[in-house]
Amino acid sequence: MRSLIFGLALALGLLIIALPAAGQQDAFDLHAAMAAAQPGDTIRVPAGVYPGPLVITQAVTLIGEGWPVIAGTGKGDVITVEAADVTLRGFVIRNSGISLDRENAGLTGLAPRLTIEESRFEDVLFGIYLKQAHDSVIRGNTILSKDLDIARRGDGIRLWYSSNVLVESNLVSGSRDVIMWFSSDCTVRDNIVENGRYGLHFMYSDNQVIEHNILRDNSVGIYLMYSRDLLLRQNLLTGNNGPSGYGVGVKDVDNLHATGNRMVGNRVGIYIDNSPRDPAATLLAERNLVAYNQIGLEIQPLTKRNTYTHNVFLENGEQVALTTGGQLSGNHWSREGQGNFWSDYAGFDADGNQIGDIPYKSQSLYESLMATYPELRLFQLSPASDALDMAAKAFPLFQPKPRMADEHPLMAPPTLPEVPGLTPPPTLANLLLALVLLALALFILAFGTGNVMRKT
Amino acid sequence: MLTFIHLTKRFGKFTAVDDLSFEVRPQEAVALWGPNGAGKTTAIKCLLGLLSYEGRIEVNGLDAAKAGKAVRRQLGYVPQELSFYDDMSTLDMAEFYARLKKVSVARAQEVIAQVGLAGHERKPVGALSGGMKQRLALGLALLADPPILVLDEPTSNLDAAAREQFLRLLGEVKAAGKTILFTSHRLEEIEHLGDRVLVLGDGRLQFICPAEELPARLGLRATVKVRLAAAAIPAALDVLHAGGYTATAKNGAGLRIDVPHGEKARPLHLLSQADILIDDFEIE
Amino acid sequence: MSLQIILIIAQKELRDALRNRWFLLYTIAFVALSLAFSYLALAGAGIVGFAGFGRTAASLINLVLLIIPLMALTVGAQSLAGEQEKSTLSYLLAQPVSRVEIFLGKYLGLALSLLASLTLGFGISGVVIALGGAGAVDPLAYVLLVGLAFLLSLTMLSVGLLVSAFTRKASVAVGIGLFLWLLFVFFGDLGMMGTAMALRVPIANLFLLSLSNPLQVFKMMAILDIQSTLDILGPAGLYAMRKYGDGLYSLLLGVLLLWILLPGLLAYARLAAKNDF
Repeated sequence: MRSLIFGLALALGLLIIALPAAGQQDAFDLHAAMAAAQPGDTIRVPAGVYPGPLVITQAVTLIGEGWPVIAGTGKGDVITVEAADVTLRGFVIRNSGISLDRENAGLTGLAPRLTIEESRFEDVLFGIYLKQAHDSVIRGNTILSKDLDIARRGDGIRLWYSSNVLVESNLVSGSRDVIMWFSSDCTVRDNIVENGRYGLHFMYSDNQVIEHNILRDNSVGIYLMYSRDLLLRQNLLTGNNGPSGYGVGVKDVDNLHATGNRMVGNRVGIYIDNSPRDPAATLLAERNLVAYNQIGLEIQPLTKRNTYTHNVFLENGEQVALTTGGQLSGNHWSREGQGNFWSDYAGFDADGNQIGDIPYKSQSLYESLMATYPELRLFQLSPASDALDMAAKAFPLFQPKPRMADEHPLMAPPTLPEVPGLTPPPTLANLLLALVLLALALFILAFGTGNVMRKT
Repeated sequence: MLTFIHLTKRFGKFTAVDDLSFEVRPQEAVALWGPNGAGKTTAIKCLLGLLSYEGRIEVNGLDAAKAGKAVRRQLGYVPQELSFYDDMSTLDMAEFYARLKKVSVARAQEVIAQVGLAGHERKPVGALSGGMKQRLALGLALLADPPILVLDEPTSNLDAAAREQFLRLLGEVKAAGKTILFTSHRLEEIEHLGDRVLVLGDGRLQFICPAEELPARLGLRATVKVRLAAAAIPAALDVLHAGGYTATAKNGAGLRIDVPHGEKARPLHLLSQADILIDDFEIE
Repeated sequence: MSLQIILIIAQKELRDALRNRWFLLYTIAFVALSLAFSYLALAGAGIVGFAGFGRTAASLINLVLLIIPLMALTVGAQSLAGEQEKSTLSYLLAQPVSRVEIFLGKYLGLALSLLASLTLGFGISGVVIALGGAGAVDPLAYVLLVGLAFLLSLTMLSVGLLVSAFTRKASVAVGIGLFLWLLFVFFGDLGMMGTAMALRVPIANLFLLSLSNPLQVFKMMAILDIQSTLDILGPAGLYAMRKYGDGLYSLLLGVLLLWILLPGLLAYARLAAKNDF
């Protein structure tokens, strides 16, 4: 009986899907229209399901009306753009192949000045893959990857030797990376990337502007590698966890300017590895909020020429950690007498200039031990680890040398720029819950004072 | 009603109670008599299930070792000194035990009145006098109206007035038909309350006798100390020795006379008949 | 065995706990400190836009680890020994109740008193966090945290009762309880840390070793509850995640239950066999 109903429902569903598609394909033949098109033509594509793969060889503008679907066969790419100056808008592109070797994508762009806008990519291995497609625009798309194990996924967006590309206002969910390879002078802004491996990943891609993006629940929010002259501005990085989870990872990067970003609730807020590598280059981080991470800032001990100023380090499990222990030197923890705000600063400001009168020093026996013996992390949050630090304070002999010192710590957090995507969660459920707990407490108290039993 | 059969209790090598057998008949009051360490309290603790033991204790046919809870339901227990939860009020305490014994909470008020503690319901138990506490303990034992009362040295910590009051109360309870087993080393308790006495020594039952025969069976003796003029002492000694008493002079101001229990006034009478003036006397 | 009698004794025990100076002191400390942590979380929330519950929870876990064992060990240790010292226990045993009823009643009453403390502390700070508009608390995770803290308190209560069953004086029992508290909270972990450093114990063994401390077990469960991963505990945590996978939570729960049942049963066995009232 059950399978009969299921069968009927399935048949009905197929009918509903098939009917309008069949009807409209009679009215509009996309492949014929493409074949007949001249460069510069605009083709309006009505709703319907059009079989892929679709190869675009003319400089045309395709505008989908009512979300027409380009359906791949589950093999190879769905759309390939071979001509320059193509524009696609308003399509649903679905069902690419799953071969990582052949890099099957929803859309592969092979020529400059491609614009892909306001489209939905569903069930694709790679989403949008640009190869030598300079001066392109990827804007307002939603890219949902195939539901595969992370090792078998493709990248939501991949740029390959494609410079001066604008990647804007896209939502990418459940893919591997959004990655720029050898693609300089790009702007990546207002995107949301979630549940992937590296939210945004830059490889050998110089002179980027990366701003107002939200990177949440990835393994790494933004991973910058082997690139230079990067501006990282007002991005939100949250919930990027896992064994090597970072909000922002910075490896072999010269001249990074990170400002106004918020790293909240990641395993490591910012991870700095060998950056800058060029002796003439620097790294500047200012007005960033680094809060509630297990480790706020993790640095390789040989790092130099970093400047940190006006950042807020709030309630991180460890504020600053050195990857293998030791001390930092050759970096600046303040600029022009203005350091950072540290939520665990225990100093004072006698002269009232809003700058702490004694330096903020990051030194903890337990944290130093953890750097040498990582297995001791097992005792995090244990009162014993606090006791160890207290003992070290009482007997300075055991106190390790400070890893770093901010000579001019700020007494109050500086004002920080607004960042999208931080909304307080609902509180009603929590309030009710808390009241239930209190009611339980009162009930037990009433029982204990005998007012319940006596009546029974 | 209450039968001890070959009760033996050892603490390691020490034998506290050794092969004790006896029976308590309905409505009878039986005293366990003996000095400290004779095994009286141990026997009672075995009955109450506080200690494990060899042998057998039966209460109305129930084996105390196996059906401890049912046995204890038939017993009302008054300890030597009731250690109460001092911060509880008299009424709360009584109600707590009423509920434990699964009797109506209203019984609490009744027993409080029965033992003469009406008006003290709101007092913390810690603020009651020793006699009041002991009466409360009796009240608690009576909560479930059990057929048997078990009392462990019930008046040993009370002053004379409180003791008298308590014994009077116990008398009423006995008259109401309760069976009573109690330990004691005070003759007046035995005389006032007991029908039969079991005399224990070093854990063994020495003999059983009616309560009134106890002093004689024990050969209890007392020493009467008499104070009289030094000049009269030799004459007095003569009179006493002639009367068959053992008497010795006591550092010039008096005499010590050894007398059997229950005849303490007779030597005094003898002396006054011989016109020897006695200034004062004392009993040891 | 009668549930009614167990409840009556439990109520009496609860009543005593609520008049126990130490118990009140610990409760006040617990409530006050959890309130303080909530306010700190709110201060952070002003900057971030919401409080990272992870951090608040970490503070709460820390607080629970410190105070709850102290409270449970103290009341547990005082319980039987104190009543024996005052001879109230033998009088209670002479009533028509069985020893198992007395034990269960006492256990239940003490457990309820601990639950009252916990729900009071978590409830008040929960109200503060919620009203401060700084939720970020997954309600389910919060309830689970309370539940886990309660389980932790039961482990320590069982251990406390075990101490109590073997001691005749309340002061001695409480002294032993305090020593055990130091052992569970500080010396045990410090010893394991020292061993790990000196002998370079393999992480697999270190993880198993840490299960010998119910506080560690509670901590791992609480972290799993809030973050669903033991990343924060470094290599040993990652090892445990990989080795036991989804079974990890059940394993930890099993260990915690063992810590509740074994000392509890031993304590009862001692009370049942006790022969020197």
